[in-house]
Amino acid sequence: MRYDPAHLAALEPDQFSAAHRAHLPRRKLSRGVVVLLVLLRVYVLLAIPVVAYAFIHAL
Amino acid sequence: MLASASPSPLAPGDAGEGATREDFLRAFDRARVLRTRAAGRPARLLWLLAGPGVLVMMGENDGPSMVSYATTGATYGVGFFAPFILLTFVMAFVVQEMTVRVGIATHRGHAELIMQRFGPFWGYFSMADLVFGNLLTLVTEFIAIQAGGLYFGLPAWASVGLGALLVFASLALRRYATWERALMALAAGNLLFVPAALYAHPDGAALAHALATWGPLPRNTGAAFLTLILANVGATVTPWMIFFQQSAVVDKGLTRADLPQGRLDTAIGAGIAAIAAIATLVAAAPLFGAHVDVSQFVSGADFATALQPLIGSTGATLFALGIIEAGLLAAMTIATSSSYALSEVFSANHSLNLDFKSGRMFFGVAVGSTLLAAGTVLIPGAPLLAMTLTVNVIATLLMAPALLFLLLLANDRFLMRDLTNTWRGNLAGGTIVVAISLIGALYGIITVFPDLLGK
Repeated sequence: MRYDPAHLAALEPDQFSAAHRAHLPRRKLSRGVVVLLVLLRVYVLLAIPVVAYAFIHAL
Repeated sequence: MLASASPSPLAPGDAGEGATREDFLRAFDRARVLRTRAAGRPARLLWLLAGPGVLVMMGENDGPSMVSYATTGATYGVGFFAPFILLTFVMAFVVQEMTVRVGIATHRGHAELIMQRFGPFWGYFSMADLVFGNLLTLVTEFIAIQAGGLYFGLPAWASVGLGALLVFASLALRRYATWERALMALAAGNLLFVPAALYAHPDGAALAHALATWGPLPRNTGAAFLTLILANVGATVTPWMIFFQQSAVVDKGLTRADLPQGRLDTAIGAGIAAIAAIATLVAAAPLFGAHVDVSQFVSGADFATALQPLIGSTGATLFALGIIEAGLLAAMTIATSSSYALSEVFSANHSLNLDFKSGRMFFGVAVGSTLLAAGTVLIPGAPLLAMTLTVNVIATLLMAPALLFLLLLANDRFLMRDLTNTWRGNLAGGTIVVAISLIGALYGIITVFPDLLGK
């Protein structure tokens, strides 16, 4: 396979690896979304010790 | 300029100034897609654009998943669970279709988007979930490889070592398209469970009846039944799939014009994976008829050994080979999922088209996590069965926050524009988040209190 510059026309501008250097703007999260994210985080943080307990219990 | 010259980036003044090896390889593949589309060859176009969907679905038919399906078949036979497994793959399609759309609309990976749109606080939490879950799951893939190897008399060090070497060999291809085709060829091995099921001489009418009526319902619907319900859900939708498919869609270079093929790829993958999953259920069903107690089975190898007198040595051998393939393919896709995600978060180069020098972090993560997982399996006396069961629980628990991030991204009009989720997509996705959260909570509760619902 050759590195043919003509092929580069087949890529959209944001498909080039260099396009990833430009970061997207941060999204402003609504209070409802933050609450949901926090709730699910609490859910995971509570659940993992439970699973760890079950793992140790199963040994 | 030849590929071996590895120009990344090209020298200034060159026609492709600033373009990297990754760009050239992706552009070469895209040019072929554009030519095929212009020539009006839909089947060839689908062949060129298929891959991420098939690989993610077949990859999720991994070692622990196939053991879950076999346990289900051996415990309850073919009945309620055949259509239930089909339903879980419909659920997987709904989730994974969103990742295709987000990848196509943004040309960015899932981890990259979470980090940039939600900030490092949520980004690092999300990454911690993924890395933790992926590492544990990777361990269970090597447990499956080891178990399948034991059936053929291979010592653990040999099968695990060979498995790790094959994962490294897949990375050494350094070309997304070649890697994808090699893994798709390997994924065909997942269908070994189909002839294994045929050796079990299944009753076609009973299977059709089960698929149409969800019956017969199991008599015992206590904790063991609920555990298998949850295990089968956990066997079909997991966080690594979201990260992997979105990054693979971006690495492959799919665009808006390719969305129909991207969806079809995912649907075909779900369909084939569902066939292999139901075939595993059917192959193990003779153990139900023979009243074999599978509760003390440790791995897929135990199933193959127990099935030998019932479906013959050929059927059992196919089953054991299928378990090895399931573990190996998943090890390759899960290690790559970690590579994509971590490299995206730390703004490192992330593509299977990279050379080793510019993809040090990308390849390093895959090699490091593979070595760690393979090494863990070889620790004498490591609690492999407890690990396998725990991984299923953790995957289900971590799925809810991962799905919420996906839904938020799929509804982000700034990113998605005309590909934003519709209300139907949100209803389906939201229902799955709620269901997975409840299932995860229930799974956790019955894991800690196994006698809560009776035996």
